[in-house]
Amino acid sequence: MIAVDDVAKAFGRRGEVHAVDGVTLAALDGEITGLLGPNGAGKTTLLRVLATLMVPDRGRATVDGHDVVRDRYAVRRHIGVLSDARGLYPRLSARENIRYYGALQGLSGDVLEARVDELIRALSIAGIADRRAQGFSQGERMKVAIARALVHDPQTILLDEPTNGLDIMSIRGLRDLLRELRAQGKCLLFSSHVMQEVSALCDRIVILGRGKVAATGTADELLAQSGERSLEDAFVRLLGSGEGLAA
Amino acid sequence: MRDIARTDSAAARIRAVAQKEVVDIFRDRRTMLVTLVTAIAAGPVLMLLVLNLVARQADKVRELSLPVAGREHAPALVAFLERQQVTLVPAPANFEEKIRTGDLDVVLEVDPGFAADVAKGKPATVRLVYDRSRDRARASIAEVEALLRAFNREWGRGRLLLRGVAADVANPLNVEPRDLATPQSSGALVLFLIAFYGLFAAVMGGMAAALDTTAGERERASLEPLLTTPVAPLELATGKWLAVVVLNATAVVLTLSGFYLMLRFAPLPAVGIPFLFGLAELGRFVVALIPLILLMPAILLYVGSRGRSFKEAQSNLSVLLFVVSLIPIVQMFLQKKEPAWLTWIPISGQYALLSRALRGEALPLTELLQSFAVPSLLTLGALLAVARLFSRESVLAGK
Repeated sequence: MIAVDDVAKAFGRRGEVHAVDGVTLAALDGEITGLLGPNGAGKTTLLRVLATLMVPDRGRATVDGHDVVRDRYAVRRHIGVLSDARGLYPRLSARENIRYYGALQGLSGDVLEARVDELIRALSIAGIADRRAQGFSQGERMKVAIARALVHDPQTILLDEPTNGLDIMSIRGLRDLLRELRAQGKCLLFSSHVMQEVSALCDRIVILGRGKVAATGTADELLAQSGERSLEDAFVRLLGSGEGLAA
Repeated sequence: MRDIARTDSAAARIRAVAQKEVVDIFRDRRTMLVTLVTAIAAGPVLMLLVLNLVARQADKVRELSLPVAGREHAPALVAFLERQQVTLVPAPANFEEKIRTGDLDVVLEVDPGFAADVAKGKPATVRLVYDRSRDRARASIAEVEALLRAFNREWGRGRLLLRGVAADVANPLNVEPRDLATPQSSGALVLFLIAFYGLFAAVMGGMAAALDTTAGERERASLEPLLTTPVAPLELATGKWLAVVVLNATAVVLTLSGFYLMLRFAPLPAVGIPFLFGLAELGRFVVALIPLILLMPAILLYVGSRGRSFKEAQSNLSVLLFVVSLIPIVQMFLQKKEPAWLTWIPISGQYALLSRALRGEALPLTELLQSFAVPSLLTLGALLAVARLFSRESVLAGK
């Protein structure tokens, strides 16, 4: 469960770039929450604040009750993050990449090995498990990155544009996995600039524009709010006329 | 939801990081090649070349072949030289030309009036023709000069005896050379090479690995996800440092072992400078180098973490390494007695201790501890600085 209260984060020498500007939102357990917004809307920055990588200038955010600033290490034990950067170690095998994150999360011995095996099965990467990550395809790299993010069975999962660069088969596999995690009662927060992604998967959608929340609700609620028929039109309308995906 | 058994131990995380980095480093062909080639091959190979050079000069002295012009004028001198195992050959007519071009090192020319001068009791003249600017010729020149002096002495002594004077009358001063150099302290250049390469290995050994694990990690975009795990910046810095220290220590031990094995077993030319680089010296070297084996990885990690890419970090490093490798060279050319405070200075202190070890001395404990003090503090400082860099938000910006 994620609670974000009036979080703001600015960059630049005088803090003139307001990447996130007073965002308040909640993401519940057993739900997939979609963070939808055009490029530069502040999605990645918001996720980095939640992942404890950045300290907000103001406001407060908690994950399962742990403050992302004060209890950052407790938060890190409770979250699994598929960040925007998802580099693997090319000289380590898929299994070793996953095992490393497990060890950092405090798993060891048979428990760790069993968990790694379980994820290799769940993500169907047994064929590449003992190959070095050097020559992996985009899809294979993403699967390994997800496996290492989930190795400690986190309650809260943050995914930054997880479908970027994936083919349709991989995207479908990812959707199935995320739905399964939801069924297990996890809290998933997932950012995307692709409407179809969000509408296909998310229980609740938060539309971000220029660092602010433009609208919140289920897909149907957003349609009703905007008075439009398609989610795409609703998205453009809710963000304001001047700003769409192309802006 | 089931619970997975987990611990929350900083030591376990540091170990996990160190273990992963060691595996990663030792699988990296580029790193291993750079490390092993510079460490193992370069030092001993260079030393073999130097030893051969020294040996060739030594051989030259021993098998002195001396071209003589006008030998018929001084049969006594010729007989003396031949008694001293010198091979006399007739000098070619154009010997001055040949000396200038370097074909000949030195020629002995007997003055045609030699016999006449001797008969008159006047000093007889021989000319020694050489080009002193040729390094190669120096050993031969010195040898011939010494032989001529010996002949002069012997002849003079004979004349005094004939006149009933004791030879000692003409030698009021008796110079008795006592060389206090232990066998190890000769052959300074060869020894300097070992000390220099030992230092070099300790300074350079971890470079490629330190860059790969910091700047490389950023370049590959694996740092950001890593920082979302419970590993704290200082734990991360410590784990990476330990891994690079392992590689650095390996490089130092391999380099020194290379020297040891070569000096022990390789069919070396008879150099005539007996010196020791045995297991005791090897051990003292490693002990003296420990501060650098620990310090350099921390510094390299710091420089590496500041670079957004491998390239950037590499160019920052080259400046540092240039300064570091200059220190022992300057120190060797100074050749003065080192001031006591030098042992406190990193690199300098280690070099001073290495020189002592090579002279066959045991390492004095106080100076050893002094040489550990500053590097230990610097190591700690550098590790904290690396941790601070890892906890900055700007490490993410570079991706």
